[in-house]
Amino acid sequence: MANRLLEVTDLEVAYGDVRALWGVSIHVDAGSVVAIVGANGAGKTTLLKAISGLVPAKRGEIKLSGTSLLGRAPEDIARMGIAHVPEGRGLFRQMTVLENLELGAFQPKARANMKHALEKAYDLFPRLKERTGQKAGSLSGGEQQMLAIARATMSEPSLLILDEPSIGLSPLVVQQMFQLIEALHKQGVTILLVEQNIHQALKIADYAFVLKTGELAMQGTGAELIADPEVQKAYMGVLEL
Amino acid sequence: MTLPSPEILLQLSINGALGGAMYGVAAVGLSLIFGTMRLIFLAQGAMIILAAYLVRALFQHLGIDPFLSLIIMVPVGLAAGWLIYQGLFRKAAAEEDRNISLLIAVGVMFLVQNLMTVIWGGNTAAVVTSYTASGIELLGVRASFTRSMGFLIALAGTALVVLFLRRTLVGKAVRAASEDMTAATLMGISPHKVNAIAFAIGIALAGAAGVAVATTFPFNPFAGFIFSLKALVALALGGIGNVAGALAGGIILGLIEAYVQFFISGGWTNAIAYGVFLAVLMFKPEGLFSRPYKKA
Repeated sequence: MANRLLEVTDLEVAYGDVRALWGVSIHVDAGSVVAIVGANGAGKTTLLKAISGLVPAKRGEIKLSGTSLLGRAPEDIARMGIAHVPEGRGLFRQMTVLENLELGAFQPKARANMKHALEKAYDLFPRLKERTGQKAGSLSGGEQQMLAIARATMSEPSLLILDEPSIGLSPLVVQQMFQLIEALHKQGVTILLVEQNIHQALKIADYAFVLKTGELAMQGTGAELIADPEVQKAYMGVLEL
Repeated sequence: MTLPSPEILLQLSINGALGGAMYGVAAVGLSLIFGTMRLIFLAQGAMIILAAYLVRALFQHLGIDPFLSLIIMVPVGLAAGWLIYQGLFRKAAAEEDRNISLLIAVGVMFLVQNLMTVIWGGNTAAVVTSYTASGIELLGVRASFTRSMGFLIALAGTALVVLFLRRTLVGKAVRAASEDMTAATLMGISPHKVNAIAFAIGIALAGAAGVAVATTFPFNPFAGFIFSLKALVALALGGIGNVAGALAGGIILGLIEAYVQFFISGGWTNAIAYGVFLAVLMFKPEGLFSRPYKKA
């Protein structure tokens, strides 16, 4: 068996009386890119939020390298090596690009390595270097998304979680985004990705899970799912018009 | 009405600005605490008056010069702020219940007021030193020495806070948490830590402001609430979340009060100050100094 980095078992999450996830199990192997796809309201974002501690789990188990994450505060989970780029990006818009990146390395473990991480981030995202003193809120949508991802890499996380990185971006920028994700993958970063851009996501994913109204509908390698007639009919037919 | 001489105008402005800096430094504390907790810490004024009483006690009983007592009041304020957060607000903050936090703040205000009354009585107190009446002569205008010192304290305190927020990583974390607490926690920033830091600095500023108040104004246990209200006005003028703006807002409020007192009448001072408060909230709720960055 490959090296299991993240293991989610029978996860149930509810917002008050409304159940969002019904016994979902997924796993992420170290060094892989895993995509979670599905329609709006399928529970993708909820699943990510449960992993990073932003919403509590009702039942089930979430383990990072064998250690349970349940009941831990988001800041503790971040310190354990999960970097979550949330939907809406969560940038500090009033602060500069550099300050955002510095805060990405806020954890004591990452702080010592900040200089090196910053060089690496600027290498990968040269546009950000040009804008280092600019306020994050003044960047274009694509640059903001790059900044959010770059900031998340500053802590050199063992797992990078990206929630809809392509949302709201022009097709050209979406291409760049996926190239970047692949570049990060090549550097050895483990990535858990939620996308509505299903075709693109399955193309770069080593493994993928399809969520449907809070339940796991299908799973397989990215190539398998792309070829699956049901996936094509249910998701890509609509999106690939 | 004839226009007063330039000397009088200058004198008014100096008095107003020097007095307004007190509101400003109180507003800086409110601004920090509001930033991370979204709580209007109504007891800030009471804490300042409490600090003023402590400064007086140190002076009367131990003979410590009021300005020298800064080196005691600031560290004590830091520690007290940290303890106040951990002891009183941590639980409500964890539940993100802002109503309870506000009620606790009101409770702290009444408790402190009444404790001061029990210990020091309800009469007006003042600290009189050998230099209380002395002044600085400049360009034919006289500025009170103690007020000038108070102004310097306000300026230095605000500058230190701004430096902390801009230059240190922990300060940046406080700013980040003020802007988006959820995103901050995803960076590994603990909400309780930034809240406690905001409180510690806020109360340390109250300690410094206490020195300034004790040396310049007569005070009584119930003066704190008005102080909090004035600080709130200053905060709104300066723009919530803008620390340096809060100090500037206080100075502007002090100027407005000085001019109203001179040109209209003392009775109108508060009415006009609160009128300005409402006008700013209605027409420029982001404060007088905000410059929205251009959106791409």
